[in-house]
Order: sequence, then structure tokens, then C-alpha cells
Amino acid sequence: MIKMETPKHITIFHGPQHPGITGNMSVELDLIGETIQKATTHVGYLHRGFEKLIERRTVIQAFTIVCRICVPEPDPNEANFAMAVEELAGIKITERAKYIRVMVLELSRLSAQFLWMAGQSGSIGLYAVGQWAIADRDLILDLFEELTGGRVYHMYVYPGGVRRDLPNGFLDKVTDLLIYLKERMNLYNDIFINNASFKNRAIGVGIIDKEEAVANGYVGQVLRGCGIKADVRKDAPYLIYDELNFEIPTQKAGDVYARALVRRDEILQSINILEQVVSKMPKGDIMIKMPTHRKFKLPKDDTWVKVESARGEFAYYMAGDGTEKIRRMQVKGPSLIHGFTLLEDLLIGAELSDVALIMNSLGICPPEIER
Amino acid sequence: MKWSIDIKGTLSPVSILGAFFDKPNTIAYPQVKKETAKGYRGFHTNVLSDCIGCSNCQDVCMNDAIDMIKTDMEYNAKNASQCIPRIDYGRCCWCSLCTDVCPPDSLKLDEEYMNVSKYASDFIYIPKNQ
Amino acid sequence: MYSKIKNQFATPEIEIKRNDLSKVIVKRDRLFELINLLRLNYSYVTLNAITCADWIEDDHFALSYILTTEDRKHTMMVQALIGRDSAFDTISHIFKQAEIMERDLHEMYGIKFIGNQNLKELSLENWIHTPPLRREFDTLKFVNENLTFRDGRDDNVDTKVETKRLRALKKAKKLAEEKAKDDKNGNS
Repeated sequence: MIKMETPKHITIFHGPQHPGITGNMSVELDLIGETIQKATTHVGYLHRGFEKLIERRTVIQAFTIVCRICVPEPDPNEANFAMAVEELAGIKITERAKYIRVMVLELSRLSAQFLWMAGQSGSIGLYAVGQWAIADRDLILDLFEELTGGRVYHMYVYPGGVRRDLPNGFLDKVTDLLIYLKERMNLYNDIFINNASFKNRAIGVGIIDKEEAVANGYVGQVLRGCGIKADVRKDAPYLIYDELNFEIPTQKAGDVYARALVRRDEILQSINILEQVVSKMPKGDIMIKMPTHRKFKLPKDDTWVKVESARGEFAYYMAGDGTEKIRRMQVKGPSLIHGFTLLEDLLIGAELSDVALIMNSLGICPPEIER
Repeated sequence: MKWSIDIKGTLSPVSILGAFFDKPNTIAYPQVKKETAKGYRGFHTNVLSDCIGCSNCQDVCMNDAIDMIKTDMEYNAKNASQCIPRIDYGRCCWCSLCTDVCPPDSLKLDEEYMNVSKYASDFIYIPKNQ
Repeated sequence: MYSKIKNQFATPEIEIKRNDLSKVIVKRDRLFELINLLRLNYSYVTLNAITCADWIEDDHFALSYILTTEDRKHTMMVQALIGRDSAFDTISHIFKQAEIMERDLHEMYGIKFIGNQNLKELSLENWIHTPPLRREFDTLKFVNENLTFRDGRDDNVDTKVETKRLRALKKAKKLAEEKAKDDKNGNS
């Protein structure tokens, strides 16, 4: 739409059908030539009302819909929900359940990082990388299929433990896959991360200021790309992360390329964590005995739990009210702040062709903005 | 934009050509079918000789997908209500909570997951007897 | 720190929930004072979220501001109880990200944040009913009024009623049989 009063301005919608957008959202851009003057994020294409639905269901029934809050990586949601319920009800889970949860969380991080790699490379036209990354992600989904019975929505991490024990020979399969993925990472380095065309596009684009990043509550790779060692797994360890040995990769530049490097290193760290978990996996029960769903009640109390997802801190606020239903569960994913406060700020002055690049590097996921 | 020649970055992506000699990752779908993992959450099956018609599955289903209905199929002598579950697959989310609460373990999820039909009414599905 | 907050704000409720999480409940008119104190003196520099829970039976919303320290090792939940129909001041002049959180809460609960210029609709387009996350909004009633259900599911049987009916039938049948037997015996 050309504004007649100022003929040099043009307003276009980037999304929701645009392939370069990360999911069902759109950005309204005010342009002069190719340069963006003003960006406004619009959501509302995906509102499903989960937070309201959860208020109508018993705790056990609500557990099946939390995984749908974020499509690329459902497991942080399930882990958060289970942790919040366990904290309110005062349940302690077994050691083996903790290890299996960490394994599922890290596998889901890996799969989300590969999906990001597909999106990021697709956003600058390197489609071969995207296809390979999706194919490698599928191998992880195969493992999930065997472990949980579902490829995308696992519904596996249950309040009180996990739902199924590991199938026979599952840990060997994980080890084999990790060896394969490690080998593949060299290839991705060659064709994607060190690729001159990606470097030329990504270096110096979408630079985020360090002080602003802390004050505005940005999380995940956005902080780590500016050189801040922010990671819930180290800052407030949950499950067994304090017993594991791993690094938090950081970069100084704060641009799209720094975030890509951080993500590449995180894939290696996830593989490292998974190797430790597989070698340390204890024996024992996976689930403590839980009451039936009409008799499981939460006390009148509230809590705030968080886990580290592939895109940063993912937190839940949960309040029980003494009945078998949850009074309130509020989801706070990384995308709410990244998609509005950060993106609208970052796009000003950027080129039109860099919009997809910047959005992908922030990892914005509209399902968790709207819930 | 600053431009300096990045020899490694220009040459290393060429290694992608090596992929021409790799075995393809894909399978020739209609001829070769992918094997579903054991324990996949597909369609429901119900062992009618075990089902006791207790409607626990109906109670736990958060999507109201399960109806308890009368059929002329042969049922268990201990089936007190003489009803068996029928599932609306337009609502089912395959969470398998219904199979978790089933007291005689008769309701299960199978590896089968294909249901092609012209009619929307075929979404209402009576679990196969096994 | 806790004792100072207790003295200064006369609030007895400081709850230590975990090693990394505490909760303070303050009066609504002193909430921003406490947030500023935490931010300037105790390095709680990040506002992570504003959450809201509707306690309809007590007639208030519990509005919690989640603050995290600069090293992200401790989280403070500062809670204020506000009336269900009252307006509240915005905090977006201190924390930029609060603008979108308040916009979200405005849409879902109908809380008016005075001073927030950007309280337009977020994800619900042309919504004219009650704000959906308030407890008085009944989703089942809304669905029954506005949507249609799939046909072909009317033959659902209430198993409890059916079990009772079948038991009664069986009993009656047994009684009748016994009676017939007795009659037969009596006759012969």
C-alpha cells in the first residue's frame, strides 16, 4: 500500500504466508526504498486458548495439551508443567526419571536446533543445508517415536516421572546417532557456518546491545550472542544438570552470525551432555505411584518454574486452588519479548531482505506468544 | 559493505558435491513402506472378551472423544453395562490416557495409523477387536 | 534484605519457595516502590513476566511481577492483589518489555493499565465478549451457543444408569424364576 500523503513510503505485510517468516505471524513494514522505517508485529492467527482450556480440566487431563504450546520443541513445556505440578504437590521423582527427562530434553533441543538450521539457511537461500538438517532431525524424531510413541507431540514427561521405560537397546541407538551427528557437524561447518555467502549476509546484521539485552529480559542465544553466560541449566540448575559437565558457549559480537555460532556450539554441547547421560543412566523405577485423576489435588499455592529450551528460558507460572483443577497456568516463552520488543526495535533500519534472516536468528515461535 | 576475499569460505561449500555419491536418505514410498516403531500411538484396539464396560476411558478423556455404545458384537460376560467405547477421531489426540486407566488392559493403541475415507462420519471409529 | 523489606513495607508475607525463588506480597499502592528498591539496591534488574491469576471467590486478581537478578541466580515474585474491576498503573516506563505483557493481560483479563499507550488488541480480533481468562467467562456455554457439534454421536449410553438397569433386570428375572420354581414346587 502506497501512502499518498508521503509518496515515498510503502507499507507491506511480511507474512503470515511468507516462507521466510517463522510460523503464523506477520510483520507490518513501513519502507522507504528497501530500508525499513517502522515494524509492527501482528499475531492472532494461531490463538487456541490453552490457558483457558487448562482451567477446565483436571491436572492429569491438562498434561496432554501443554506439549502443543510450542510445536518445534514440545518437551520443555512438558518438563515445566511436570516440575510445577510436582513442586506444588510436593512430589519427588526418582533418579532414573530425572536422567530420562534430561535425555528427552536434550534430544528435543537438538531437534529444535536442526530445525533452526533449516530455517536459517533457507532464509538466505541455501536450501541444501535445510534439506539435510530436516533429514537429520528426522533421525531424532525416529528415536522419539520409539521411546514415546509419537514423533512430534510426545506427551511423555508426566507429573511423577516419565510414562514409558526405555525400550531394549535404546541407549545404543542414541550413542550411534550422536556419533553420526558429530560427524555431520563438520559438514555443516563447511557448507553453512563457514560459507562465505552466509558470513557476508550475517556479520554485522541485527546487532543487539548488551546492557539493553539484560534490562529488557531477552533470553537464550540473544544474550549468549552478546557475551553473557545466561543459561538456566547453570544459573538455577534443575533435574540433574548440576551433576553434568558442560560449557555455555558465548560470542561477543551480538549479531546474526554470533548467534549462529552459539547455536552451532550448543549442538556440540547437547551431544556432550547426551553422552554423559547415556553413560550414567541409573537403574530403578521411572514413575512414582500417582493417584487417579479425579483424586489428584493441588494445594492453594503458586510457583514459577523455568527450564532452558533451545531458544532460551521457558517459564511457567502455576497456581493451584485446593481442587483437582489448576487455577491458573501462564506460559512465558522467549518469543513474547523477542517477537515484539526486540524484533520491532531490531528491524528499524534493516533491509527488507534481512527480515527473514533476523527473525530466524531470534527463534521466534508464534504458538507460544498466543498460547 | 566491506568485501574481502574469503578463500576457505568460498571453497569449502563445494564439498557439498560429495553428497552426489551418498546413498539417499529417502525411501521409495509406495513400494517401500517405513516400518512403524513398536509402541507407536496409532488407532485403538479393544479386546472385547476383556472389556468390562466401566467407562473409565470416557471419564479420563479430556476431549470428550469417547462414547459408550451398545453394539451387537459379542462382549465379555463380565461387562456390567454391556457397552463398549467408540472414539471420535475428530477429537482424539492420541494421548493414550484412556489406555493407561483401562483396568483389564483391553483398550490399546496399535501401530496402524491409516484411515482413508470419503465420508466424515467414518471419523467416528469403533476400535477393532483383537 | 528480607528483614529490611519486612520493616519498610510492613508486610509479613515473605515466602521462600526454593533456593532461587521467593515471594513477597505487598499492598498495591507500594508495589512500584518495592520494585524500584529491588531494582536499584539489590540488582533485580530484569522483569521476566507479569502474571495474573483470577481469584473470583475473594474478588481480586493476584498480579505478580517476576524479577530476576543480574546474574540470573535468584528470582523474586512480587505480588499485589488488585480489585477485579480496578485499573492499575503501567510499569512500562521502567521496563520496556512490560508494554507487551500489559497488552496481553489487558486483552485476557480486561485490566486497564493507565499510561500504557499501546493497549490495542493482540491476538483476539474483534472480540466483543467478556475477556476470556476471567473466571466468569464460561467456555462451555460459549461453545454451545456459537458452535455446532458433529452428528452421529447421540447414541451414547450412560454406563452407570445402564449398569443399574441391567442389574435390576437380572434381579427381577432371577426373582421371577425363583417364584416360578416355588409355584411349581407348591403345585406339585
